[in-house]
Amino acid sequence: MKMTGIIFSNIYDISLGDLTMNRTVASLPFGGRYRLVDFVLSNMVNSNVSSIGIITKYNYQSLMDHLGSGAEWDLSRKNANFYILPPFASGITNVYRGNLDALSNAVRFLEATKPDYVIMCDTTVICNINFEKALDSHVESGADVTVIASRNMLNYEGSDSDLIVIKDKNGKATDLAIGQTLGCDSLAGMGMYIVEREYLISIINSYVARGRYSFEKDFLLSRFADDRVNINVYEFTDPVLRNHNILAYFNNNFRIMDEQIRDNIFKTKAPIYTKVRDEAPSYYSESCVVNDSLIADGCKIKGKLDTTIVFRDVTIEEGAKIKNSIIMQGTVVGKGAKIENAIIDKNATITPGATLIGGSGSPVIVHKGDTI
Amino acid sequence: MIRGKSKECIAMLLAGGQGSRLKVLTAATAKPAVPFGGKYRIIDFPLSNCVNSGIDTVGIMTQYQPLELNDYIGTGSPWGLDRNFGGVHILPPYAKSSKSEWYKGTANAIYQNINFVDRYDPEYVLVLSGDHIYKMDYEKMLKYHKKKGSECTIAVLDVPIEEASRFGIMNTNPDDSIYEFEEKPKQPKSTKASMGVYLFNWDILKEYLISDEADPNSSNDFGKNIIPNLLKDKKKLYAYQFDGYWKDVGTLESLWEANMDLLDPDVPIELKDKNYKIYARNYAEPPSLISRTAEINNSFVAEGCTVKGSVKNSIISTGCKIAEDAIIINSVLMPDVEVHSGAVVKYSIVGSESTIGMNAKIGEIPEDGTKKDICVIGRGSDIAAGSVVIQ
Repeated sequence: MKMTGIIFSNIYDISLGDLTMNRTVASLPFGGRYRLVDFVLSNMVNSNVSSIGIITKYNYQSLMDHLGSGAEWDLSRKNANFYILPPFASGITNVYRGNLDALSNAVRFLEATKPDYVIMCDTTVICNINFEKALDSHVESGADVTVIASRNMLNYEGSDSDLIVIKDKNGKATDLAIGQTLGCDSLAGMGMYIVEREYLISIINSYVARGRYSFEKDFLLSRFADDRVNINVYEFTDPVLRNHNILAYFNNNFRIMDEQIRDNIFKTKAPIYTKVRDEAPSYYSESCVVNDSLIADGCKIKGKLDTTIVFRDVTIEEGAKIKNSIIMQGTVVGKGAKIENAIIDKNATITPGATLIGGSGSPVIVHKGDTI
Repeated sequence: MIRGKSKECIAMLLAGGQGSRLKVLTAATAKPAVPFGGKYRIIDFPLSNCVNSGIDTVGIMTQYQPLELNDYIGTGSPWGLDRNFGGVHILPPYAKSSKSEWYKGTANAIYQNINFVDRYDPEYVLVLSGDHIYKMDYEKMLKYHKKKGSECTIAVLDVPIEEASRFGIMNTNPDDSIYEFEEKPKQPKSTKASMGVYLFNWDILKEYLISDEADPNSSNDFGKNIIPNLLKDKKKLYAYQFDGYWKDVGTLESLWEANMDLLDPDVPIELKDKNYKIYARNYAEPPSLISRTAEINNSFVAEGCTVKGSVKNSIISTGCKIAEDAIIINSVLMPDVEVHSGAVVKYSIVGSESTIGMNAKIGEIPEDGTKKDICVIGRGSDIAAGSVVIQ
C-alpha cells in the first residue's frame, strides 16, 4: 500500500474517432476479450495498488458497466478503495483541457487516500509492468517526478503528443520534448508518472488555478526548462503497444498474436483481469478453417478466418471469409460474407453475402449495432 | 437468533464421494471438482441449476479430498451465491461434543447438518448429487410437488427398458405416485430411472433422518433406507418426469461420452444458452491463439489455449498447448495439458496439467467405432517422448 493509482479514461478520445463515439478510450475493446482499461488496472492490482480512482468525464456508461464493483480485479474489498470519479456537476462541464484539469476532479480523492505516492496512467498504452519496481527507482532517485518510458524501436507508433526524453546513466532526465521524433538515444514516455501525493496535490492546485492544464506541457516542460523540477526516467524494456490512433490500435490487436509479445503481456503470475461473461467454450465446426487468429469464448466458428481477432459471443456462419479484421463481441457474420481489413464493432450484423473491404492502412469501421 | 427471512426451499448437495471409478482423475480431488466440457467442473451443473431455479441457499457436503473443491467454490460469487443470508456453504464433517464421525452415508451427511438446514427454516429441501450433467429447472419440480401434495418427489428419467436394470427404478401408479422403489432390478417393471434428485418436505425428512440414525442396522442411505421407509409408512411419494438430457458421469466411459455428447448436435445439452447459463469460476486467460498450421474440426476450444496441431471431435480445456503436428482425435484434454509435436492422442481423457511428450501415442481408434475402453492419462502425468500408452 505505497501507491494510489489514478487512471485517465478519456485522454485521446478524439484521436480514436469512430471507435470512441459512444465510449471512453478506457472501455475500447482490445485483443479478443479485454477493454483497454483492463491492462493498466491489472498492472496496478498486480503491483499491490488497491486505492484506485478512474477519472472520467463523459461517455462513461460502458466503462461503469465494465468495471462494476471492481470484483474481477479483486478491488471490491473493504480495504480496497476503488472509485470511478465523474465530474462534479457544479464544475465546468466541457471536455478536459488536459490531465491536470482532469486531476483537479480527483483532489478530494487524493486527499483522502493514505499512500504517499501516486501512479498516474492513461489507458492507451498496453504492457505488463510492475509499478513497484518503478516506485523503487523513483524513491532511490530522489526525483520529483518519475517518467516511465520505453525505447521500443520496433513498431513505434507514437503520437506527436508523446513526451520524448533523454536520460543519463543514472536515469536522470537530461532533455525533454514534446512533438519530436523518437531518436535512437531517446525514449518515449508511456503516459505513466510517479509523484509524491502531497506534491501532486500542490501542483494541481497551483497550476489549474492559473489556467494551466497539461501535466506534461505546462508543468514538466516549463519547470524543466527553468531547472525547477528533477525528473527520473524509469526505462521499461518489455514490449509496449501504443494505441494512439485507429491504425496503431488496429495493428496492435494483431501484434498480441506474436508469441513473444503474448507471453510477455499475458503472464500467468501477473494476469490481465477482465469482466467475466460466463460464455461457453468456442465451437469450431466441421467446415471451419482458422489461421493465425485469436478467438475468445462463446463463439461459433463455421467460416474461414485468417489473421482475425474474434471477441466473445461472435458467430461466423458457413462460407464467410474474414481476413485481417477485428470482430467485436456479439457480432454475427452471415453466410458467404466477405470481410477484409475491417473493425466490426459490438453487436453488428453482417448480412449473408455482404462484402466489406478496407485498405490495410485504413480499415473500414462498422459501428456498434449496425447492420451491413 | 437467526436474522433473515425464512427460505422456502434450500438445496443440499452431496459432494463427499470419492468417485473411485474415475480412478486417476480423482486421486487428489473430489469427483464434483473434476473438469468437464472445456471450462466447467461437474458441480457447476447442479449449482447453476439451483441459481437458475431461484434457489439461493446451498449446502455442499464435502469429505473426500475437499481442498480443490473448497477453493473452487470460494465465496460462491461465480454463481451469484455470495449472499448475506443464505448463499453457498461448504459443510465438512465436524467434531461434536458427544460423538464425532465421518459422513457414513448420504442420509447421515444431511442428518449431521440438521442444524444448518434449520437455520433457514425451509419448507422444502432439495437433495442433489455432484456427479450428474444436466440442466433442470427445480422450480418446476417444486410446483409439481406442491400441486400433488407430495411429501417426497423424486425426479425420474425415461430410460430404454434394456438399460433399466442399471438404475434405481421407480414403479408408479397412473397418477405418478410411487408404490415401489427397486435398486437395479433384474426384471424392471418400469422405465422410470431415479436421477438422484429428491425434493422433501423438511419436517418429514427430518423425522425420518432422526429415526434412521437411531437404527443401528441402517446404512444411512437415501436409496437403501430413507425412501423404502417412507414407502413402508405409506407417505406420499411422487415421480417427477424430466425430459431433458441427463447423464451420470461416475465412470470414465460415461465422463468421456458426456463430453462427446456436447459435440453431437442431436443431443440436447446446449452450453451456449443466454437464458440458462452454466456458471463457472473463470480464470484470467487470454483468448485462444489458433496458428496457421492448426486444423480444428467439430471441437470445443476454451480460452487460454495455443493450438498449432490438428484437433478433431475433441474438447480442449482452458490453457492447453497443442504443438505443430500433434493430433488430437475424439479426446478430452482437461485444463493446462501440453501436447508436444508429433504426439497423437485418440479416444482418451488426459488429466489436468499433464504433458504428452514428442511423438508419444496415446489411445487407439476402436475397430467398430464404439469405444468402451477409452485411454486415461492421470492428472499431472508426464508421458515421455515416444511412449505408447494404450488402455
